[in-house]
Amino acid sequence: MKPLRPTADAAALPSVTFGQRSMMWWGTLGFMTIEGWTIALLVAAYLYLRQNYVAWPPLRTPNPSLLIPTINLALMLVSIVPVWITARAAARLDTAAVKRWLVLTCIIELPILVLRWWELWALNTRWDTTAYGSAAWTIVGFHTSLLLFDVLDTYGLTLFYFLRRQPVKTFSDTADNSFYWYFTIGIWIPIYLIVYVGPRIA
Amino acid sequence: MTPDRADRADGAPLPVVLTLSESELAGDAAALDAAWRDRPGLWGWLTAVDHKSIGRRYIITAFLMFLAGGIEAALMRAQLARPENTLLGPDRYNQIFTTHGTTMMFLFAVPMMTAMGLYFVPLMVGARTVAFPRLNAFGYWTYVVGVVFLYVSLFANTGPDAGWFAYVPLSGPQYSPGHRVDVWAQVVTFTEIAALCAAVNVIVTVFKMRAPGMSLNRIPLFVWAQLVVAFMIVFAMPAVATGSTLMLATDRAVNMHWFNPAEGGDALLWQHMFWFFGHPEVYIIFLPALGMITPIVETFCRRPVFGYTAIVMANITTAFFAFGLWVHHMFATPIPELGESLFTAASMVIAIPTGVQIFCWIATMWLGRARLTVPMLFVLGFIFTFVNGGITGVMLASVAFDKQAHDTFFVVAHLHYVLLGGGVMPLFGAFYFWFPKVTGRILNATLGKVHFWLFLIGVNVTFFPMHILGLEGMPRRVYTYLAPTGWGPLNLVASIGAVTIALSVLVFLINAIRSWTHGEPAGENPWDSSGLEWAVPSPPPSYNFLHSPVVRSRHPLWDTDVELPVVTGLRTDRKEVLITSTFDAMPDSRHSSPEPSIWPAYLALCMGVVFIGSIFSPYYVLGGLGLSMIGLFGWGWQSSKRIESELVAVPNGAMVERA
Repeated sequence: MKPLRPTADAAALPSVTFGQRSMMWWGTLGFMTIEGWTIALLVAAYLYLRQNYVAWPPLRTPNPSLLIPTINLALMLVSIVPVWITARAAARLDTAAVKRWLVLTCIIELPILVLRWWELWALNTRWDTTAYGSAAWTIVGFHTSLLLFDVLDTYGLTLFYFLRRQPVKTFSDTADNSFYWYFTIGIWIPIYLIVYVGPRIA
Repeated sequence: MTPDRADRADGAPLPVVLTLSESELAGDAAALDAAWRDRPGLWGWLTAVDHKSIGRRYIITAFLMFLAGGIEAALMRAQLARPENTLLGPDRYNQIFTTHGTTMMFLFAVPMMTAMGLYFVPLMVGARTVAFPRLNAFGYWTYVVGVVFLYVSLFANTGPDAGWFAYVPLSGPQYSPGHRVDVWAQVVTFTEIAALCAAVNVIVTVFKMRAPGMSLNRIPLFVWAQLVVAFMIVFAMPAVATGSTLMLATDRAVNMHWFNPAEGGDALLWQHMFWFFGHPEVYIIFLPALGMITPIVETFCRRPVFGYTAIVMANITTAFFAFGLWVHHMFATPIPELGESLFTAASMVIAIPTGVQIFCWIATMWLGRARLTVPMLFVLGFIFTFVNGGITGVMLASVAFDKQAHDTFFVVAHLHYVLLGGGVMPLFGAFYFWFPKVTGRILNATLGKVHFWLFLIGVNVTFFPMHILGLEGMPRRVYTYLAPTGWGPLNLVASIGAVTIALSVLVFLINAIRSWTHGEPAGENPWDSSGLEWAVPSPPPSYNFLHSPVVRSRHPLWDTDVELPVVTGLRTDRKEVLITSTFDAMPDSRHSSPEPSIWPAYLALCMGVVFIGSIFSPYYVLGGLGLSMIGLFGWGWQSSKRIESELVAVPNGAMVERA
């Protein structure tokens, strides 16, 4: 083995970082890319199938209802506020504020998930009626799995904060949880426009 | 070494420790090993997170799959050796050729290439492990679930039988009742999840864990290839995962209509989804193999590779073009003429970056002093075989020719020249090259040469006649043919070639097993190679590097004179890794790395319940998801364990110490 020549000492470097300085942020970004791309492919397939029909939605299928999806979209947009404040509190390492805002986030995220059930039925078609129904259900269904995962992550994190004193690293993870929520909500906007609003203008 | 001052709250450079005594070094090694070693015994095996343990297992499992796929190939060649043979009936033959393709593409080639990355990338970039060791273990176990599922199904006479690309409507619910195609769809899901986990791991490892000083223009070319391929996986794998899990499986299980034309579905949509993945897949196998060639050529020609930047650009260009040619698999379908022209052009253009790489290696050999060691022989075998396969690829890019050769043995010949020449030959070369690093012993060179010549001859004798058979009109995927076709003699030649390949692989196996236990000890750097992986003992210790190496050139071991510059100061009493900035690789922070964990294996099993269960009932899906809640909680709980003190860089730039 070649003899080693020390050139610098890393002991003074931080052991917890936030945002793009942390590995978890990059990992989260990686999975966001994969999931976002999957949704893009599903939407492309949805539009590809559109070409097979004269009318869209086909065969006298009613348009998707807008009431529940619009209410839920509004809720989602509002939810960004506590999620953003949680991330800010996490960046300040303010345990009390993080706990408080995480609880509030949990409270606002739950109805979003519950409303999703009616949002699926607001498509006004079943997955096994036409290819249009299959595509619409799959897109919304896949997004639901992302939503569910993120809500579970938020609940788990909140639970951890209350069960025991968390290492500072968890604050960075909390900020990344917020980052993932922005993605989940952000990617929903085009889905809402294409799947729920689109058939009315197509 | 000047650290990035902007990264420090006080703006001061990092302090320098001028000397380390021998005893300090030895003490560090013992402490580091205690912190990094996986636990002993069966539990230790199940909970292992060391990237080398996982990488080694991955490589061995994928190689076993190569043998399984090889046995299936041998069975097919035995069946086709003479006309109207009765060794395999049509039903068995369908299962065998489908399982052969599925195994070789999904369970051997892609996992093997990613596994080589998961083992070597951290060593080559000077890191102690991968970015997400538990995710790495989870990926491996998920892959194992897929392997077991496919082979249990095959032996239960439920092996998939609709071809490795499972075209609808044949693979749809109407024409493939039963569960054979479901098995295929879910095996694909497992291998996709595993590949995506590996890709994210490789990307973040390369972005954030490179040795200080390893700026983008100093990254080893194997690592570049792995990075580019990781990005390709991120964009290619979701297409087939979507196609197989969210479309084909749902059409079959819950009566969706993605591919049912009677309800507005579209059979060609499947081909688009599949080949949007399937064509990049070829390059996902091929680019890492090319990445293996560069260090071999550099080492045995004793000079830096000619055209480093050109090779990096060729990798990136290939990756871009790879996503623009999937339709050339669909020339026999009614696609617009303009589309055909575009995809023909793209299919021809992609030969250019590959040609650039080959010319760079030839120039390196020309300018250096080439030694014909076994790895070099495989590189030369690669150039010969792959170029042949590449040329028939350019032929097939022409629509007029493609329509004649479509679904004939000509295509079989082409794809095997490309994959065996472009994937397996460099891989064998890489085995001879890096076996000493992994095992500490050198593979026997005489047996290696026997292996090489038998393999080269076997590949050409097996697959060259298939070009002619294809031009004579022999379709692929037929379990037999009649004597008057006149295809008998060439098929017999091909089958003799297959025996030769089998013999060559047998020689390799004997060599590997014998050398692993009795081979010549390798030492740290038996080939006098230049990469960082050769700066550590063979096999590498659990913590890889005693201290994080500092890199000042593309060839750290050739360009440092006597001493290897290192960064000290990482904890030795627990797992800690050095994080560097994304572009310039300046030291930025220290992160803790996870302890061994059972949750990755547990969660992979839960995924097994979800996806295998989904074939039978949605309740298994719910049950599996419920069980995985426990796993996710356990995983998170393990991550949130307190450590005694943390030095925190909060986003506003301040540094806070938290006890």
